Amino acid sequence: MSVISPNAFAPPAAGPAQGQVPPTLREQVRRLERAHSAQKAGRMAVPTGVAAIDILLPEGGLLTGALHEIEAGPTPSGRVAPHDGAALGFAAHLIGRFGPGTILWCRQPSGGIDAPPYAPALSAWFDPARLLVVTARREEDLFWAMEEGLRAPGIAAVLGETRAADPTAGRRLSLATEKNGVPAFLLRPQPAPPQSVCTTRWRVTSAASPSTTPGLSDLNIARWHIELRRNRFGTPSTEEMPSWLVEWNDETHHLAVVPQARHGSAGPSPAGISWADPNRQRLVG
Amino acid sequence: MRLADARTLLPDLITRGVEPEADRRLLEAIAGWCDRYTPWVALDPLGAAIAEPDAEGRAEACSAGGFGGDAGLLLDVTGCGHLFGKDESGERALLADLVERLARHDFTCRAAMADTAGAAWALARYAERQADLFCPRHGQREALAALPVDGLRLATPILETFLKLGLRRIGDLYPLPRAPLTRRFGDQPLTRLDQALGRVDEPIEPHRVPPAFRTRLAFAEPIGRPEDIAAATSRLLAALCKQFEQAGVGARKLEIALYRVDGSVDRTAIGTSRPNRDNPKLMKLFEERLGELDPGFGVELMILAAPEVEEWTGAQDSLPDTSAVGASLSNEDGTIDLADRLALRLGAENVVRLVPRDSHLPERVQTTAPISAEPVPDGAWARLASMKGARPTRLLQRPELINVTALLPDDPPRQFQWRRHAHRIVRVEGPERLADEWWCPRSNGKYAPANSVPPARDYYRVEDDDGGRFWLFRDGPHNAVKWFLHGFCA
Repeated sequence: MSVISPNAFAPPAAGPAQGQVPPTLREQVRRLERAHSAQKAGRMAVPTGVAAIDILLPEGGLLTGALHEIEAGPTPSGRVAPHDGAALGFAAHLIGRFGPGTILWCRQPSGGIDAPPYAPALSAWFDPARLLVVTARREEDLFWAMEEGLRAPGIAAVLGETRAADPTAGRRLSLATEKNGVPAFLLRPQPAPPQSVCTTRWRVTSAASPSTTPGLSDLNIARWHIELRRNRFGTPSTEEMPSWLVEWNDETHHLAVVPQARHGSAGPSPAGISWADPNRQRLVG
Repeated sequence: MRLADARTLLPDLITRGVEPEADRRLLEAIAGWCDRYTPWVALDPLGAAIAEPDAEGRAEACSAGGFGGDAGLLLDVTGCGHLFGKDESGERALLADLVERLARHDFTCRAAMADTAGAAWALARYAERQADLFCPRHGQREALAALPVDGLRLATPILETFLKLGLRRIGDLYPLPRAPLTRRFGDQPLTRLDQALGRVDEPIEPHRVPPAFRTRLAFAEPIGRPEDIAAATSRLLAALCKQFEQAGVGARKLEIALYRVDGSVDRTAIGTSRPNRDNPKLMKLFEERLGELDPGFGVELMILAAPEVEEWTGAQDSLPDTSAVGASLSNEDGTIDLADRLALRLGAENVVRLVPRDSHLPERVQTTAPISAEPVPDGAWARLASMKGARPTRLLQRPELINVTALLPDDPPRQFQWRRHAHRIVRVEGPERLADEWWCPRSNGKYAPANSVPPARDYYRVEDDDGGRFWLFRDGPHNAVKWFLHGFCA
């Protein structure tokens, strides 16, 4: 690793333009943040497609060589979510942004409910022909399959559905993603004890549809409440836990933040913060 | 002789019950062990070959001088002798090696080698001198002449008549005219004689199908360390891949056999989803499996065989040591290699692709296929999805019975109870009526109605007061409506 001079962290005294970080410094910081990263330039991050969310994420999107966790949160009434349909939808949306290539989908059927992902619905986000579905009985097999998938060429993304929260396995996955530049997703039907290894952790809860919709028979627009509970390398938000109320339109296949109601936790005003703002730059996650 | 008589004569006689099954298993184990010499090993088909094989008659025939009873193995060692020496000396060495190794495991055996299976059979059982056991090339006529006619593998009645007629030696049959012999005794004596002398072909059915491609590696000292076994496998694989390249094929299945010093054999196999002859990839697959092999007290011989090969369809082999070329292979290649590796550990049924099927019933739309199957054309899923209504992101493998409250029997549901939790429905979309496929009746699942009217399901997409979305359907005849939960929506 190259040695970074102590003044690398100081604000640029005579920068080319106020508010601009020199590319060399940006590169040095990046190397400091992820010493083992083998990511190539230009493949750094993939935008989620929702501007308000992307603004908080490092490089303006989801890092390719990183572990992302998506968990189904409890219902508004405080119960354990009966199913993780919303979380699955959000995960599928994120995975669909990565490509082309095979998507490795690893499942570990857990007691009682065996409900595999259903391709006709997934085709809204990506072509299900890209899926390679793996069923593992044991959690070590699941993590092994995910790691193998991360190492294989031609894999766009790896997703694991599990309840298991093994810090060692998570750490290994995280290293494998950094090394190969392939994103890994963990989809949890229930919130798990937080781990420090993932780059982003999302909690997705289904929210009630807008009451203004006329009639009883319109279910095309689903509302999800998304919380970004961990955002390593990202831009700190103005509030403790940035969250958004988003709408997924089943017909137009469009994901957008609900405009008027920010659900009490507005994202940062787009004009005020950009990731390149040197005063807002966070060096270590 | 009866057992009682025998006990009178010899009071400390040790007796054991007959266990034909155990004997056969042992013989098969020895046959497997003999694979080290040749892939073409057969259990002696004596029982089936003799016209009337009553057990007593055969015992008598054997007691007349035959060795070994009906336990015998036939080995086709054509072209295998050169591993032990040149030409005839190699074949002699092979024979000696076989007898010596079996003796080391406390098996008494007699082995003979001849041009034909029939001649070798006769020599092994009836040759009087040790030197006669090896019959030189084209020498079976002279070698057999002095042997008793029992050596011709004939049915007991024919044998008895021969003895009555004074035909005691096989050589006595040589000058006899063929037509009267056939008229008197049928086909068998002359067929057997011709087979023994090599005038008629005698096929041998091997106990395991001999692979078209195999390589072997014998060790001067038994090996046992996992690293050594891996290194040996790698060498065998390199040799086999060269054979594949020359023949223009790729392996679908590979089997490695470890011949341990104690005479037992341990085997393991790997499979690939399409013809493969890429040495590093195959080695990677083997690495998964080698850990399961038990070298026991040491391994003296390893054989790598390819029981299933297919014509090579892949691209030109990548140049060695240019990882850039390997990396630029199509995505499909990487996926298939990955699937092979995963299937090896998790089972082939657990590593699948999703394949669309045109069907009304939601559970039939999505089927799975092994990775080796024809890939799904681009956009096939999207086309299928566009023809259907809104579908859930997860579909329950088995619809679950729920309690539903509705104002009227045909009304949309107002509330349902699933797994002890009540969900108040605030939003409903539906119904979407999906009729059964009369040409392909539903399996007799728990929820299949008993009557013969082709039922239709009314599907509803509902949202409960927490925003959770579900896919329900109403099934059954009017007087016995049942509700099921079939999926979860995003």
